[in-house]
Amino acid sequence: MSAAAAVAAPPVAIAAPSAWKRATRSGGLAIGLVLVVAMALIALLAPWISPYDPDAQDVIMKLEPPSAEHWFGTDAFGRDVLSRVIWGSRVSLFVGTVATLAGVLIGTIIGIISGYYGGIVDKLITAATDVLLSFPQLIMGLILVAVLGPTLFNLILAITITAVPAFIRVARGSTLAMKERDFIDACRALGFGDLRIMFLHVMPNIMDEVVVMGSLWLAAAIRTESTLAFIGLGVPPPTATWGGIIREGFDNLLDAPWLSVFPSLAILAVMIALNLVGDGLRDATDPRTPQ
Amino acid sequence: MLRFIAKRLLLALPTLWAVLTLVFLLVRVVPGDPTIIVLGDQASPAAREQLRQRLGLDKPLLVQYGEFMVQIAQGDLGRSLVTNRPISADVAAVLPYTIELTLAALFIGSLIGVPLGVVAAQRRDGFVDWLARIVSLAGLSFPAFVSGILLLIAFAVELRWFPVISTVNTSDPLERLRALALPAINLGLIMVAYVTRVTRSGMLKALSEDYVRTARAKGLPSRLVVWRHALRNVLIPVVTVIGLYLGVLIGNAVLTEIVFNRPGLGKLIVSALNQRDYALLQGLMVVTALAIVFANILTDLTYGLVDPRVKTA
Repeated sequence: MSAAAAVAAPPVAIAAPSAWKRATRSGGLAIGLVLVVAMALIALLAPWISPYDPDAQDVIMKLEPPSAEHWFGTDAFGRDVLSRVIWGSRVSLFVGTVATLAGVLIGTIIGIISGYYGGIVDKLITAATDVLLSFPQLIMGLILVAVLGPTLFNLILAITITAVPAFIRVARGSTLAMKERDFIDACRALGFGDLRIMFLHVMPNIMDEVVVMGSLWLAAAIRTESTLAFIGLGVPPPTATWGGIIREGFDNLLDAPWLSVFPSLAILAVMIALNLVGDGLRDATDPRTPQ
Repeated sequence: MLRFIAKRLLLALPTLWAVLTLVFLLVRVVPGDPTIIVLGDQASPAAREQLRQRLGLDKPLLVQYGEFMVQIAQGDLGRSLVTNRPISADVAAVLPYTIELTLAALFIGSLIGVPLGVVAAQRRDGFVDWLARIVSLAGLSFPAFVSGILLLIAFAVELRWFPVISTVNTSDPLERLRALALPAINLGLIMVAYVTRVTRSGMLKALSEDYVRTARAKGLPSRLVVWRHALRNVLIPVVTVIGLYLGVLIGNAVLTEIVFNRPGLGKLIVSALNQRDYALLQGLMVVTALAIVFANILTDLTYGLVDPRVKTA
């Protein structure tokens, strides 16, 4: 070992946190990441791993409870619930990811511009953001999809619109703080243009917070998508969506509770995974988090 | 206090105006002809023209906007396209149920969330803290309809402790409470999650403050230091969060009502959607917007009660 490493060693022996504490503090991020990757793989590999065609109907096998052939049972059309849950993950993850990415991109750009220039532009954008944020995300998404009509594109559009103001606020706040830093002054002194400073110097430095928000918003976006599908405003049938399967299960709640239980568990797994990732990232990037 | 309230109400007016404008625009600046959406593409031009007149869509946008604002100022939300009943009457009939549910959830959230957060912060990384984190993770993760369905399956279908379909218009208070229990727990769980989180992180910060050390050094019992001195200073962020999430709560109340088949704004929204009743939908959006602006004002007023310094500021 080099001498530097030896010097860097803590001079005072600090009691190592117990295994319990370490597991509960840092384990969350790892567990969350593993779950997210697993979910993404399931969605990507759906055509190869789903045991049946998700839309294949079998009138004799209606509302069968879970069995060796149909692990999650069958629905009112005799379709295999496991296959539908696997295929449903594609819609949820796709809509959630695309809407969140679009929201991050648009929101961050507007937020940086608003924070960087300040003045009347900033005031207008902030006022608009406050108004949009005062509406609950779910109600907003519901209204947008209701007036636009439930198609895959409109769902993504509606969820993006609900996400944009949140990212404007985060990016604007971080930009305001970053603007006062010396290295930005240095950039100005070097004669860099506003665009170059905003997107090459401010943006990379505020991405920590945006990414943390992004992972939490991905959960929110997927939640909104499945909620809309449950209300009947999702991608139209027969396409399998988690919210849609739960809705069908809800109509048969007394005879076939498994129909709604399995997609519910799938949603919960994704939600918990993404929240663990978001919280873990926040703890890891926030210097104020007590170690 | 009165001046504070008056000032706060005046400040809310621009927000209210902006939100109402948003509602107005949302319903009108949609692609496609609303009369086709309502009547279907087989409708005769005459029928569509008649509907257009009834909705006031034949007038210039600015005139429509003015009429919309005047109507709302008079407390008139228009008439339903389907039943032709005044929307304000329909809303007034179900609003008490939604308020009852939301208040019950707030009550559950504060009653469990605050103590859980305090104890979790006091015994950091202990068992209660770990439990608090699991509860808040679950509460933040569960979409309200998923937790609602799981509660329904567990406690109404399998265990049969509660009715599957809530009968709310009963005169028996005990029966009414039994019908309220599951929906309130479902909605309350979300509130518990938010409140626990904020209380815990606020208490962690407060407990490391100088005044807490001073109080401890004076020899005050730990119980007093934590529950009287520290908690008082944590209540402001807690009240803020409760206020902020009233909007989330209203959204989730809608879902909870659908799952538990309770009358309320939720069922009204769904029937408006199913019947393409845009007038009703617009009225419901106005009511939701009013409720949220009102909740924000209430939050600010509560600050004054929790922290006397706010009033004079």
